[in-house]
Amino acid sequence: MIDRLVRWAAVAGTLLLVALGLSSIAHRARAEPAAATPPRDDRAVAALGRRLFFDPSLSASGRESCASCHSPAYAYGPPNGRAVQLGGPDGRRAGTRAAPTLRYTLDRTPIWFHEQAVSLAERLTENEPPAGGFTWDGRFDRLRDQAAFPLFNPDEMANASLQAVVAKLRAAPYAADFRALFGDAVLDEPTAALARALYAIERFELTDSSFHPYTSKYDAYLDGAASLTTQELRGKQLFDDPRGGACMICHLDGRGANGAHPIFTDFQFEALGVPRNPEIPANRNAHYFDLGLCGPLRTDQAAVATFCGLFKTPTLRNVATRHAFFHNGRFHTLRDALRFYVQRDNDPQKWYPVARDGSVARFDDLPARYRANVDTTDRPLGAKRGERPIWNEHDISDVIAYLATLTDGYSREAHDGGVSPLTNRRADAVADRRAGGKILHAFTPIASPRATVDRL
Amino acid sequence: MFVHRVERLRVIVGALLCASMISACGGGGSVSSTPQNTKTTSGATGTIGHVFVIMLENKSYSETFGANSAAPYLAQTLASQGALLQNYYGTGHVSLDNYISFVSGQSPTVQTDNDCTTGFDTIAQTGTAPMNQIQGTGCIYPAGVLTLADQMTAANLTWKGYMGDMGNDPARESATCGHPAVGTIDATQTAEAPTAAIPGGDAYATRHDPFMYFHSIIDSASCKTNVVNLAQHLGSDLASLATTANLTFITPNLCDDGHDSPCAIDGQPGGLSRINTFLQTWVPAITNSPAYKKDGLLIITFDESDYSTVAASGGSETIAWSGATCCGEQEGPNLGAFPQTQTISAGTATYSLVKQSFGGDLVGAVVLSKFIKPGTVSTTPYNHYSALASIENIFGLSHLGYAAAPGLVTFGSDVFTNE
Repeated sequence: MIDRLVRWAAVAGTLLLVALGLSSIAHRARAEPAAATPPRDDRAVAALGRRLFFDPSLSASGRESCASCHSPAYAYGPPNGRAVQLGGPDGRRAGTRAAPTLRYTLDRTPIWFHEQAVSLAERLTENEPPAGGFTWDGRFDRLRDQAAFPLFNPDEMANASLQAVVAKLRAAPYAADFRALFGDAVLDEPTAALARALYAIERFELTDSSFHPYTSKYDAYLDGAASLTTQELRGKQLFDDPRGGACMICHLDGRGANGAHPIFTDFQFEALGVPRNPEIPANRNAHYFDLGLCGPLRTDQAAVATFCGLFKTPTLRNVATRHAFFHNGRFHTLRDALRFYVQRDNDPQKWYPVARDGSVARFDDLPARYRANVDTTDRPLGAKRGERPIWNEHDISDVIAYLATLTDGYSREAHDGGVSPLTNRRADAVADRRAGGKILHAFTPIASPRATVDRL
Repeated sequence: MFVHRVERLRVIVGALLCASMISACGGGGSVSSTPQNTKTTSGATGTIGHVFVIMLENKSYSETFGANSAAPYLAQTLASQGALLQNYYGTGHVSLDNYISFVSGQSPTVQTDNDCTTGFDTIAQTGTAPMNQIQGTGCIYPAGVLTLADQMTAANLTWKGYMGDMGNDPARESATCGHPAVGTIDATQTAEAPTAAIPGGDAYATRHDPFMYFHSIIDSASCKTNVVNLAQHLGSDLASLATTANLTFITPNLCDDGHDSPCAIDGQPGGLSRINTFLQTWVPAITNSPAYKKDGLLIITFDESDYSTVAASGGSETIAWSGATCCGEQEGPNLGAFPQTQTISAGTATYSLVKQSFGGDLVGAVVLSKFIKPGTVSTTPYNHYSALASIENIFGLSHLGYAAAPGLVTFGSDVFTNE
């Protein structure tokens, strides 16, 4: 099944990109915030994008929208604890990766790039991992390209063809708005219609303040409007300790040079060696491996062996609201995810299968030839076997307390229900300041966003 | 496996294996020369009032100025318009120590010798060696250590640093005097590719901005007016004599200075070809400026050379810099004995990076001025310390650090051939 999916994804993806006039070379070359078609009214386009984002009729089952896996009530992350979400024509097909949160990162995600010095010597000393791109493997540089994938993925919205999607657009209650924005004939031109729909979704995701509310306790703390408890502060110290957790190396938690509040990721790729997850049906095939950056969903880096097993570092904002952690959703509590970090190497038998001879199959979700790619040096990884973990259970509790301060909704300026009411201009102003003034412009919403949420 | 930032400190510090002491000067092939001008100010230099410096990245002389150069505008066009300094040397490997030597005469600490990849910390000074060389570890020199910029200010002369991309992403670094907060990790060690919020990306590298490593500068309010974004300011500042500083120091972004390829900011090829494009844009802007036409001198050079040899043995490769020196360059008090070897694992491969000696190897330089006859070629050995001393001579300043080294040769009649 997986092979078939991968083949399908590759073919369909290529066809789609060609159809949209988006060559892979072009979309690798640079992020283009500008529209495929210049927006006539960016606010109205984003408002249309909102309706598309929440519209389950765009799926083959009629029950799945973008928001089904990226629920605003859960920081645009999954609303349940499944390792991978269900979808497909009957709503019973399982995906292969955990749904990430869409909050905070979308306008800050660099296009996928692997910086390399011209000089081999400096390339080795600098030795930066790749960074950026959307999804766990960074294979999309633009949100509009990413948004096409779930529309056609048989495990997600599962549309059989471009025509099937456009037929749904024609029947949608917002079809008149679509035509008003993009021309009377746009829905008669499937390629153009899809391109504009994807663009509208992108504008919604980039400009709606519900994607970057900055209403956590940590935001208030950074502004001097709240104090962290002793436990939260101790957790932060453990998180920041370069000789301890050193979590802030990848999950940056300091203010930016302009005072911008951090988004807790550097977007770089990392191989953590997360154990294989038997909850994912695809893993029943012993020959199937999700190698992240080098495949199978991503195909352009398949030949780079050192990329195999690497996945993009996610933001930790709202991490305490999640119930599926890492790319394969292997862990379902934040405590277990943190235990894995600090106990992976000194107590590997706790995390990986143990053979009859006592040997431990470390990094068992990667073929043996790629296991050397797993990070065994950066703190908190790399402990010697039997060594005492750098964090005990008490420490982990403190770190969890700190991470819980990253949950939105603490501030009085909190956005109602996670979807921006936008009558609250003060909230937008606060968020804009906390983002360092670089939030893409917010817009006035269409009527009754609450009604939109209620319809889900 | 890729190495993250903190781990780099352990790798760099822990893997430096001092094997044996070698000759203090010119370990990998030093150039012997007969000094022609020792700390002298020629008649021509006495009339120069505006000095422009463009510092580029990591190219050996043979690559830049060889027959098949990918930067023909520099190697041929500009070299034919001014002086080609065929024996101009960097002072160390890797980048940052060269920038620091150029503006202050200070030799490296272990950290500046390795680009301060792991933290932006003040130097913990343990002493002062002869010629005011600071002993210690760390990156940022204490306030008492002066630079060419401080000298200019004290002499009522103006200076400015123009940094490519600085502040493109204002959360990453400020657009003026942009540097990491002291005591933090330097996020500018990695270029930032374009995002929806920052569509131009940000390829500013603090480690190529020498002024940021001196408290005498970054603690000063004037830093914000003196160290600015290149694209936003250089063109307009060149427009008139009044707005052009006496000293203009230009560091292109990681793409335009030839460091990266492909470029993070646009995915296009970098290296020498990108240098060529950058120079084709900015050198005419400089040479057509009122200040340059009046009394300008433009120095275009590279911080250091590329490595010189690669040898494979078994499953590992050894990549070596000669570390050649000239001009009696001294190592300084902080680095220890050479050769020094750093071992790096990348996947299943192992690499040994060897600095045979402490120098920066042969890079070459092109110098333009109306006081230089087109097509001038000088074989006199120079390095960044001699360039500093030469600029200090031009402005009537004393010599800082190793710019005051006995016997150091400064630009003289071999360069200023059109007096």
